[in-house]
Amino acid sequence: MYRAGSGLTTTVPPAAQPPLPPGDLGTFVRESAEAGALVVQPRMGMVGAEDMAAGVAAVAGLPLRTVATLTIDSYTRVGDHAAATAALRAGLPLNGFPLVSHGPKTTARVAAAAGRGTPVQVRHGSADPMAIFRTMTAAGLAASEGGPVSYCLPYGRTPLAESVAAWRDSVQFLTEESRAHGRRAHLESFGGCLLGQLCPPSLLVAVSVLECLFFVANGATSVSLSYAQQTHPAQDTGALTALRMLADEFLPPAVDRHIVLYTYMGVYPKTVPGARLLLRRSAELAVRGGARRLIVKTETEAHRIPTVAENLTALRIAADAAGAAHGARAASGAPTADAEEVLAEARTLITAVLGLSDDLGTALLKAFDRGLLDVPYCLHPDNRGAARSTVAPDGRLQWTDLGALPLLTTSRRTIPMTSRQLAGMLGRVAREHDLAAGTNPPPEPASAPRPAPEPQPAEPLRIAFVGMGPRGLSVLERLAARCAEEPPARPVEVFAVDPYEAGAGRIWRTDQSPRFLMNTPAQEVTMFSGPADAGPHRPGAGPSLGEWWADDDPAAAEPDGYAPRAVYGRYLTYVMRCVEESLPSSLTVHRIPARVICADRSREEDGPDGGVHRLRLDRGEVLTVDRVLIATGHPDNEPDEQQGTWAEFARENSTPARPVRYVAGGTANEMPLADIPAGASVGILGMGLTFYDILAELTLGRGGTFTEGGDGLLYLPSGKEPRIMAGSRGGVPLLTRGANQKSPEHRYQARLFTAERMAALRAEGAPLDFERSVLPWLLAEVNLVLLATRIRRVHGPDAAAEFTERAVESAADDPRLLEGLAAGYRIDPRPLTGLAALARPFQGRRFGSPAEFHKVLTEWLRADLAEARQGNAEGPLKAAADVLRDVRQTVRSVVDFGGLTPASHRWFLAEFGPLAAMVSTGPPPVRSEQFLALLAAGILEPVGPGARFEADPVEGRFAVESEQVENSWVPLDVVVDARQPSTDLAADRDPLIRGLMVDGRIRTFTNAPAAAEGGERSEGAEVFATGGLDCTESPFHPVRADGSVDTSTHVLGIPSEHTRWFTQVGSGRPGPWGSFTKDADAIAAALLAAARPGGAR
Amino acid sequence: MTPSARPQSLRSPEPSRRVLLTTGSSDAHTWNLVHLQLFLEEHGHSVLNLGPCVPEELLVDTARMTRPDLVVLSSVNGHGHQDGLRAARALRGDRATRSVPMVIGGLLGISPEGAATRTAELLDAGFDEVYADGTPPTALLRRLGELGGACTGRAAA
Repeated sequence: MYRAGSGLTTTVPPAAQPPLPPGDLGTFVRESAEAGALVVQPRMGMVGAEDMAAGVAAVAGLPLRTVATLTIDSYTRVGDHAAATAALRAGLPLNGFPLVSHGPKTTARVAAAAGRGTPVQVRHGSADPMAIFRTMTAAGLAASEGGPVSYCLPYGRTPLAESVAAWRDSVQFLTEESRAHGRRAHLESFGGCLLGQLCPPSLLVAVSVLECLFFVANGATSVSLSYAQQTHPAQDTGALTALRMLADEFLPPAVDRHIVLYTYMGVYPKTVPGARLLLRRSAELAVRGGARRLIVKTETEAHRIPTVAENLTALRIAADAAGAAHGARAASGAPTADAEEVLAEARTLITAVLGLSDDLGTALLKAFDRGLLDVPYCLHPDNRGAARSTVAPDGRLQWTDLGALPLLTTSRRTIPMTSRQLAGMLGRVAREHDLAAGTNPPPEPASAPRPAPEPQPAEPLRIAFVGMGPRGLSVLERLAARCAEEPPARPVEVFAVDPYEAGAGRIWRTDQSPRFLMNTPAQEVTMFSGPADAGPHRPGAGPSLGEWWADDDPAAAEPDGYAPRAVYGRYLTYVMRCVEESLPSSLTVHRIPARVICADRSREEDGPDGGVHRLRLDRGEVLTVDRVLIATGHPDNEPDEQQGTWAEFARENSTPARPVRYVAGGTANEMPLADIPAGASVGILGMGLTFYDILAELTLGRGGTFTEGGDGLLYLPSGKEPRIMAGSRGGVPLLTRGANQKSPEHRYQARLFTAERMAALRAEGAPLDFERSVLPWLLAEVNLVLLATRIRRVHGPDAAAEFTERAVESAADDPRLLEGLAAGYRIDPRPLTGLAALARPFQGRRFGSPAEFHKVLTEWLRADLAEARQGNAEGPLKAAADVLRDVRQTVRSVVDFGGLTPASHRWFLAEFGPLAAMVSTGPPPVRSEQFLALLAAGILEPVGPGARFEADPVEGRFAVESEQVENSWVPLDVVVDARQPSTDLAADRDPLIRGLMVDGRIRTFTNAPAAAEGGERSEGAEVFATGGLDCTESPFHPVRADGSVDTSTHVLGIPSEHTRWFTQVGSGRPGPWGSFTKDADAIAAALLAAARPGGAR
Repeated sequence: MTPSARPQSLRSPEPSRRVLLTTGSSDAHTWNLVHLQLFLEEHGHSVLNLGPCVPEELLVDTARMTRPDLVVLSSVNGHGHQDGLRAARALRGDRATRSVPMVIGGLLGISPEGAATRTAELLDAGFDEVYADGTPPTALLRRLGELGGACTGRAAA
């Protein structure tokens, strides 16, 4: 044990002390503790003596155990008594009580306002407190606070050596002078605060203990050790436990001591309820951690110096919360892991410092000089500044860089902190409490006893996110936002399981080719469920992809354009980090870079819902969780029969001299495109979005460039390109996306194809025939916009609006009446007869040669580009096509969960879906321009409509031919399958999905007539086996093979495709929530409902 | 290094400026200084951070020696108005630092009343701009971008 005072002080306290006068702070606190009351104390300082005295009297007059405070102003604190006196004379405002300027007489008069029983403490913040101590002792006061380190390093530029010397003299003066007048000096170390934020507890505890040892070495016999509330309740409780144990370990037994807690000293909540909540929690912490005195903060802390009344309110609230917590105080058992960690680290620090010199002042100087003590983010020249810390995702403070601190630690990484992250961490507690209190305000202070708060349940709700791409992230974002708004009753632990980088997942990997583009404009993409505000980016408030991109990479970003997929991947990982960095203390997220290979329940014998879920990971461990979210994204399917045959054919016929290859479908990123030799004939099967990625990689990716020609783009080949033959059913690429003329928040409000009308249709006549009952309304809506836009271009917006109103009225009975109505406006009144007219322009048409087809195709695509350039608001066709995107959710409301007859559902997926995609999901104009340039350069040779790919056993190669283009047959060395693999759980290679299917824990959705469902189906009744995962409506629980519902599992996104329509959406949209965000939020809400007491186990 | 581990927004603006970051002589707060330093450095500027409680002589001496492109005084303790006036008079009263651009921002008074008067006085004393509390730090980037001419010097800071 360190013996205080060894070889240092000449003053030895007398063995028997005279009785202490009333108002001795140490005695008062001890007696209060024995009476079971927490002592509460304000920080209060007014410039004028009368105001200060009134404040002291008011605090002392409260029916609570209080200590009154004189808080000193900044000028007095830094020893600029001339400035303080001048301000006092001139009547200028000061931020505290200028004690030295007022002098001892006035100070004594002010202190007397506390009466006889209430102690008065002087709080100042000075690195050289001698003048203050002289004045206060002359005024009869004996209690103060500070310390050679805690009032030097964080608070100015006084050299530490000067501060240590000044404090040594000042403490000796205060203790001797007080003793000479029959009083006992009390000194409180401010070491538990330091910079107020971001200092790991072990250093706070160590400095607090060391400073109290310093006080004792210089004559003090009554001390208090401080700790400021930090970011995590359990860690704070542990720190208080450690502080108490270390005080007992290092301080001589005769020294009177207690623990004082400071309500949070960092950025304070801005709202009154938020501030009160934080205050209440500090009082609860004080009780839990065994602190006997609490220094409060007021609800105006964030805004201005508080009034006396505001201070009194804060004292009442704190005492009220402490009283309630006393009832609920748990029996203290063994130290927690938090306590053990703080204890071990702080003890190491203290011992290391004490070993440096017998003189503690000298030891402190050496310790800071060598970096054995090092306050993170402290700018003082005598602080080494090598140690760094962070708020961990779980809310605990931890070291990220130890500098020269003598601590042993594992797995602590050095990560540079950005200013935004710093701001986020500094404001985290304030934000959390403002949000939490906003939804669930803390009680008003009252004298009535309150029921004890519910004991914190030890068991967290554990949730596995299987797949952490955009869908998983969308749920996590809402889960975190909800937890921040209202802390769940149980802590929630999330395991984000994905073998790829969390956030981006497989599809949006950040390391993919920069030539792979998204097909949604960056500013229409967001993963935050609310727009960014002045605060740090966090769940519920963050930038869209476009905003983030512009900020992240201003040189390259085109927020109005289409971002590379890798950029979106980086954005997603940024969102993931934002979530992790701003987690409320109730939520923990673990990244598990692994694949789930099978899942079962821990008590199978109790039936399908028996026990928790056990997920076996490919790296060996088993994860046990209460809830599972299946968000595995794009499938990896077994090749179908033809694909298998082709792969086999390629293997058999390939020779080193003339390789033959079949590249199976998937994402362009995963295709071995680099292996395709220059000059090889490559057939690309499918002309959708993957086709464009492949096209870019085989041209731009091989060194070719596009330049501006006189008439559109020109392609300058590198010579390394293959010959590219492209074929699909329609033979044409996707229609070009119209140039954007709408704000990201814009949503088209349907007039005819309304959600209400479709709901009514479904209610009356489900299952529906899409083509007969639904499509006419959808077409009418498309045509309404087409014709209204044409009218607006010729006759102006008023005429268009008039037409729309009339059309909505007359078409309500028959959607086909639009043409007649439009005819009166002297425009082209012909509506679209169907989407095929747009997407399949060459249906039934024959071409005499590939050259003729290319000529016609070029004209067609140029015309489409011209339409696109007119824009998606001004251009009639593109405005009309945009309707399909905007009403997607209404289509889903009709189709999803068995809204169509089996036959119609089949037709919808096979016919309508591809057409709608052709018309409304196309690429940006630049892609179509590149298509034309490659065609003109002879690199790209579209085969023609109705392209048939085949294996030619005679040639030993593949071949492709269009039945509508003469002489189009062409042999191929390579076939690249650019079709999106469709969801088909029966063919899914994912071992988890396979296992769940085999065990009957999930099933595919079969659309069957209601009468035939479940039991035997009547002979001949058509059924449609979709291949998608069968699930309930929101919140999307999987349905088991026996028809029962697994309510502890959710499924979101592509695995449920076909049961639901168009799940291949990897982003939310700014503005009002669409289904992407709504679905995520519904699942988050359901998960949190399970965290309620009595919620599922 | 994976892309995600990259600090964001590390870019070198042209030209990169040298900022002398300071606070009032009575202001002990430093988080505002730590944050501003990080922020400005992330945007490619170099920062000399004087830390808390900067006496006027230290400010003037450092400015004379290092010839910064901009002096930024950030204060949050409520004395920023009085401290700022003294800092401005000291800098403007010295021939060598008379023309160095300087701005001030933060919580400059202990209450919102009189903010307009305070701003006028600070501008009058020589500040080129007074930022109201809550102004985002990007305002500084704008100010740095608007500084005319080449950098004033490259003497070691």
